[in-house]
Amino acid sequence: MKFIPPVCPEPETGPQYFRSPEAMADSAQLQEWAEREFPAGASELTVAESRRDFMKLMSASFMLAGFGLTGCRRPTEHIYPFGKQPEGYLHGVAQHFATAMPTRTGAIPLLAKSSDGRPTKVEPNPLHPDQAGTDQFAQASVLGLYDPDRAQHFRNKGNIAKRVDALDALSQISKRAAANGGRGLAIIAESNSSPTRARLQAAIAAKLPNAVWATYDAVDSTIHTQAASLVTGKQVTPYFKFAGAKRILSLDCDFLGSEDEMYRYTRDFAKGRKIAKPDSAQGFELISRLYTVESLMTLTGFSADHRMRVAPSQVAALAAQLAAEVLKQSGRTSLLNTSTLAASLKVDVTLKNWVAECAKDLVAHKGAALVVAGQGQPLAVHVLAHAMNEVLGAFGKTIELHDAPAAGKPLAAAVGAETVVVLGANPAYTASETWSQIAKSAKTIVHLGSHEDETGKTATWHLPAAHYLESWGDARTSDGTVVAIQPLIAPLFAGLTEAEVLGHLLGNPIANSYSLTRETFAALTAGALDEEKWKKFLHDGLLEGSAAPAVSGSFNWTAAATALGLVTATPAPSKEKLEVIFHRDASVDDGRYTNNGWLQELPDPITKLVWDNAVLISRETATQLGWKNGDVIAISANGRTVEGGIWIQPGMADFTLGLALGYGRKWGRIASFEDKSVGFDAYPLRTGTAGFITGASAKSANRTHPFICTQDHWTLHGRPVVREANVDQFLKKPDFAKHMDLDGHTEFLAKNPDGSIKNIYEHPYKTHPELASKSHQWGMVVDLNACTGCSACVIACQSENNIPIVGKDQVAKGREMHWMRIDRYYAADPRKKETGSILAAFKSNVTGSQGNPDTVNLVERDELQATKRWIDDPQVVTQPMMCQHCENAPCESVCPVNATAHDDEGLNVMAYNRCVGTRYCANNCAWKVRRFNFFDFNKRPIGGGKMADSFFKLDIGLYKGPAGVRPGDEVDIISMARNPDVTVRMRGVMEKCTFCQQRIEGAKISQKVKAGASNDVVVKEGAIQTACQQACPAGAITFGNILDPNSAVSKLKKQDRNYSVLGFLDNKPRTTYLARIRNLNPAMPEGHKQIWTVEEYRSISDPHFMPESKTDGAAKGAK
Amino acid sequence: MSDIFPKWTNKLPAMVIVGGLIVGGVVTAGITYYMTPKYARVGYTPVQPVAFSHAIHADQLGLDCRYCHNGVEKSWYSNVPAASTCMNCHNQVLKDDPKLALVRESAATGKPVPWVQIHKTPDFVYFNHAVHVNRGVSCVHCHGPVNKMDEVRHSKSLGMSFCLECHRDPAAKIRPNDQVFNLDWQAPEGFAKSGGAKLVKDWNVHPGESCSVCHR
Repeated sequence: MKFIPPVCPEPETGPQYFRSPEAMADSAQLQEWAEREFPAGASELTVAESRRDFMKLMSASFMLAGFGLTGCRRPTEHIYPFGKQPEGYLHGVAQHFATAMPTRTGAIPLLAKSSDGRPTKVEPNPLHPDQAGTDQFAQASVLGLYDPDRAQHFRNKGNIAKRVDALDALSQISKRAAANGGRGLAIIAESNSSPTRARLQAAIAAKLPNAVWATYDAVDSTIHTQAASLVTGKQVTPYFKFAGAKRILSLDCDFLGSEDEMYRYTRDFAKGRKIAKPDSAQGFELISRLYTVESLMTLTGFSADHRMRVAPSQVAALAAQLAAEVLKQSGRTSLLNTSTLAASLKVDVTLKNWVAECAKDLVAHKGAALVVAGQGQPLAVHVLAHAMNEVLGAFGKTIELHDAPAAGKPLAAAVGAETVVVLGANPAYTASETWSQIAKSAKTIVHLGSHEDETGKTATWHLPAAHYLESWGDARTSDGTVVAIQPLIAPLFAGLTEAEVLGHLLGNPIANSYSLTRETFAALTAGALDEEKWKKFLHDGLLEGSAAPAVSGSFNWTAAATALGLVTATPAPSKEKLEVIFHRDASVDDGRYTNNGWLQELPDPITKLVWDNAVLISRETATQLGWKNGDVIAISANGRTVEGGIWIQPGMADFTLGLALGYGRKWGRIASFEDKSVGFDAYPLRTGTAGFITGASAKSANRTHPFICTQDHWTLHGRPVVREANVDQFLKKPDFAKHMDLDGHTEFLAKNPDGSIKNIYEHPYKTHPELASKSHQWGMVVDLNACTGCSACVIACQSENNIPIVGKDQVAKGREMHWMRIDRYYAADPRKKETGSILAAFKSNVTGSQGNPDTVNLVERDELQATKRWIDDPQVVTQPMMCQHCENAPCESVCPVNATAHDDEGLNVMAYNRCVGTRYCANNCAWKVRRFNFFDFNKRPIGGGKMADSFFKLDIGLYKGPAGVRPGDEVDIISMARNPDVTVRMRGVMEKCTFCQQRIEGAKISQKVKAGASNDVVVKEGAIQTACQQACPAGAITFGNILDPNSAVSKLKKQDRNYSVLGFLDNKPRTTYLARIRNLNPAMPEGHKQIWTVEEYRSISDPHFMPESKTDGAAKGAK
Repeated sequence: MSDIFPKWTNKLPAMVIVGGLIVGGVVTAGITYYMTPKYARVGYTPVQPVAFSHAIHADQLGLDCRYCHNGVEKSWYSNVPAASTCMNCHNQVLKDDPKLALVRESAATGKPVPWVQIHKTPDFVYFNHAVHVNRGVSCVHCHGPVNKMDEVRHSKSLGMSFCLECHRDPAAKIRPNDQVFNLDWQAPEGFAKSGGAKLVKDWNVHPGESCSVCHR
C-alpha cells in the first residue's frame, strides 16, 4: 500500500509542523488524511489480518518519521516582541551610554556599549579631553558585573534577609546616631572622587559631628596629596603632565603600571615618545628620556632608558643624592640640606656618575623636566622629588596643582565604635589586625560589598553593592572634570550604591542615587534642576568647563627641611635582613578582582605568570640563599609568616622580595579554584598600608609550587623580531629597521622589473585583480615606541570577542585562548659575557660550560637562564602579537576544508562552522597566533571539580560535549557578558584575531545604509576602531584602510621605521610594526652605547662582530 | 579437496561492492535531497498563536511592511511588532474579537505574544536586513509574496547557496530603492541586464562573496 505519512499527534490549533510538499499544494487527498484522527492503517488494526501486516505498517511509518516527515524535525522557536514598544529602541542596534569607572584618585571616562539592554563592552569616552584609552581593570569590569559569585542577597548575620528589613536597619542606625550626634558611629570608606559622596560626607559631618569617617585604601595613593600639600602649604594634589616633559626621573614611581592614573600617564608618556618623522635637527630631543630608580621590575622600568635598581629603603638616600646634585648643578645648594640622608647610601663610582649625569640632564631641561615619586615610597622621597621639581621649574609646566579635599581619618580611628558601616572596602582581608580590633568593639557591622567577602562574612548586615555599570553616580577625573556614572541596566540583584547607604544614614528613607546625583549636579551648575543641562551632562558624560583650575603655590623649603630631618637612614638589606615590597597586582589590584577570570588568566605584564602570585626575587638573592624557581619559602616579619613560591625576576633589586597583593582568598569559584586558593595572601606580613617593610627573614619551606608562565623564553636569541635603535643611530640611518634580518639582505634573490622579489607563486591579487576590493584594504600598525606592555588590549579583545578562560591547568599545556599576547623580551648586557662576542660564548657553551653564570648562551635550556648574571640589569622590550593577516597566509594553504580563507579586503578570515579541527593552520603559522578550542571552554563550569593531572579524575565538565551544561546560576549570568555580534565558538574549532571583523562589517553596513541609492560606500577614516586600538591607553595601535593614502595607518606605514615581523618569509603581513627608538644618554656610565637586542642580533649575523664596550667612542651606528 | 564455501559465495564480493555503491548512492541522494534547506525548510507554515493574515493587512489594507517591521531599515533584525502597534488600529477595529485576545493582553500587561519563528539562520550566520533593504533588495526575494499569504510560509531555502545566487549576480535581483517594499513590482523585460546592471554600477554594489561577509 502507499505509505502515507501519519498525522502529527498535536492538535490543530497548537504548533503544527510541516509534513510534506503536498501540504503546500493543499492536495485534497492529503487534506482528507489530515482530517482523520488516526493513521490510515489504524482503523484496520481492529481487523488486522496478521501481526506481520501491522508491523510492516507501523515500522514503515516510524521509518519515515526518521526522515522528519512527521513532527519534531524542527523544534519550535519563538519570537517574543514587546507588549509596548519602548521609545527609541531598535532590537539589534547597540546603544552607547557615557559613564565612568570610579578609581581611587579619579575616574576613567567610558562609553559603555549596551547590546539588547545589557552592557557588554566598555570603551573610552571620545568626548573627554583626556582621550586616554582604558586600563585592563575597566575592560574586565564588564565580567565583574556578571560575576556569579557576586553578592546577590541582603544578609542579616549570614541569613538571607529582605531588602526592606535591611533598609529598616539602616534607618534604625540613623535614628540612633542622630540622637547623640553620631557618637559611636564609624564609617569606613575607600578614597573616591565623587562630588555626591563629598556632599553627603559633609552632610554627615554636619549632622553627626561625633561620627568618625575613616578613609582606608589597601593601596594608598594619598601620599601624593600629602607631599604636595606639605611643600606648598595648601591642601593640593599634583596633576602630572608627562606629555610636556622631555626628561623624566622616576623614584620608584610605576606611573606606567601600578599608579592609579596609569592610563592617563601612559597616554601622555606615549605622546612624548611617538615620532612623526626623523628630524635630525632635534637630536636627542626627538623623544623624551626616562630615568628610573626602582626596586621591582615594573612597566616603567621596561620603558626606561636608564634604570638603577636599589632596594626600596635605599631609594630615599639615592633621591637625596640626586637632589643634592640637582641643587648643586643649579647653584641652589643652600636651599636644602640632604647630606645626612645622601651619605647613608654606599657609593661606588658608577653610581656617583649615574647620579651626576642624570642630574645634569635634568638641569639642562629646566621647564621640561619632571621628577615623580612612587606611592609606595615614604614622604621624604616625595619631598625630595618636589624639591627637585621646584628647582627644575616643573611646577606650572609639567606639574599642575589642584585643590584637594582634606585627608580622612585612618582606619584605626574606627576602633571603639559601636556601629561600623563599611562602604565597599574589605578591611577584614586587607587590614586584618586593625579590623579585628574594630570588630571586637563593634556591636553592629554593616558592610556594603560587591562580594560576600571576608568583611561581609563578619558583618551583622551585608548589603549587596551595585556595580558602577548599574548605578547612578558621579565622579571627577583627575583633571577635575565632573563625569557622570549612569546605569546601563537595572541593578541585577537590587544592590545599593554608596550614596544610597549614606542617604539612609542621613535619615532619608527613600534615598536613591538618581536624585542624589541630580541634586549634586544642580549644586555644581549653580541652581535649578535644569533638564537640558542634565541631559547634556548624561549624553556627553561630562560637565564642560568643570576642570579644576590650577593652583599656584610657593615652595616651603623650611617645611621640606623639617620633613627630611625626621627621616633616619635605613641600612641596606642583606641576606638576613630582607626587604619586602607589597605592590598592587596588575591582575587583581588589591584583591578586589581576585574572582575575575579574565584578569586571573591575564599573563602578568612583567612575569607572564597566570593564576598565581609569586615572591619575586633577584638572581643574586636566590643564588646566595640557595633557592630556585618554584621553591616555596616562608617569609617572617613582625612575628608573622607568609609562605609563597619564588620566581626569579630579571631586574629585581637584591635582597628584596616582591609580593603582589590580592591573592590567597578562601571563597569564590575563580579566587579559590578547586578549594585551593589562587596564590598566597601577602597581607598578614604587611604593616598598615606600607609600600615595603624591612628586616624580614626568609627560609625554605621544603616544598615547591608549580608556576605557569606563558613566556618562558626570555631572550630574543638574536632574532630581530623587535627592532630597535638609539636616537642618534636612528637619525643617522632612519630606515635601519628595513635592513635587519633576511628581508634586508635580498641582493641574491631574483627580482621583477619593478624591483620586488620574484616569487615562485604570484600573489593572488596580482594574478586575479578582481579578487581584491577596490574600496577597502585593511591594515594595522603597532608603534613599539608607544606600547608599554600594560595588556589592556588583551582584555579588551577578550571582552569584545567572547574569548573563554581556560584555567591554570590548560594554560600549563599552552592552551591559553587570548587572541592577542604581549611578548616581552629581555636583552643582555654584553659586558656580562665571558669573553668577546656572544658567538664566542655560544661556542664555549656548546662544548659544555652551560651553567656558567657569566655567559649568555642563546641556545641553552630555559631553566638555566634564571642563573645567568646578565639578567640582573636587562633591557626589556614588549611587542603585542596578534594575527598578522598575511597576504600570502601560510595558514590558508594548508586548511583541508578551506575554513580559513582570504577575503577581498585583505583579511584572513575564519569560518568556524567549517573548521574540523585539523590544527594544521596553527602548525603552519610562524607567528603562532592561532588558538584552538581543545575543549568546550564556553560550556565548562568555571571553577569547580577536580582539575588534577589525571585524565580520569576530571569531572569539571570538560568532556561533556554538546550535552554538557554549566550550573544554572552561571549559565544565565555569564552569557550576559557575551557580545552578540561575535560567534561563540565550540570545541574543536580554531580561532584567531579577526581585526574585529564584526566592527568592520558593522561599519561597512552602516556606510551602505547611509549611502542607500548612491555609490558612497567607502568607509570613512576613523569609523572603525578595533577593540585593541580603542582600549590602548598609549594609542599604540592604528588600524585603517591602506588604500586611502591619507589614512593614519597609511601614513604610519610610509615611515622608515615600519617593518614586518618575520618579513623574510615573504608572507606580506598586513600588521606591521614601527621600530622602537630609545633615548640612551651617551654620557651615562654603564656602556649604554648600543641597544643590547641589536648587539645580540649583530653578533649572530656577523661572526667577526665585537660588542661595544664602555671605552669605545661614540656609537658606531646600526648596520 | 571439497569446496569449503558454496559456489554462490564467489559472487559475494562483487555483490557487496555493487550493493554498497547503490545503497551509498541512494542514502547520499536521499540526504542531499531531503535534508537540505531547500527541502527541509521550504513550506514550513507553523500555526501562529494569533491568526494574523498578511494578505488582509499588507495587500487588502495596503499597510507598508515598515509600519510593523519598523526596525528593518536600521537594524540587522527585522522586528515583529509590539502589541501596541497592533492596538493602534485594533483598539477600535475588532476591539472585542476573541481572536485578538492575546494581543490585547500583551498590550495591557506586557506579556509577549508567543509568535513562532519561521525564518532563522544558524547562529554562525550574521544576516543584516538594513543593508539589503536600503540597497535595492526587496522582501519578496527571500520571503516570497508575503502580501499574498494568509499564513506566513517559509518560501525560499535561505541556505548559503541561495544567498550566493544573488551575491554572485546582484543585477538579477536588484530593484530601485523606492520599489523595495512594493512586493508586487515586476521587473520589466530584460531589466537584469539593463536596469539592474546600471543600478549595480551606479551604486557601486559589491555584495561580497568572502566568508567574512556573513560569518563572524
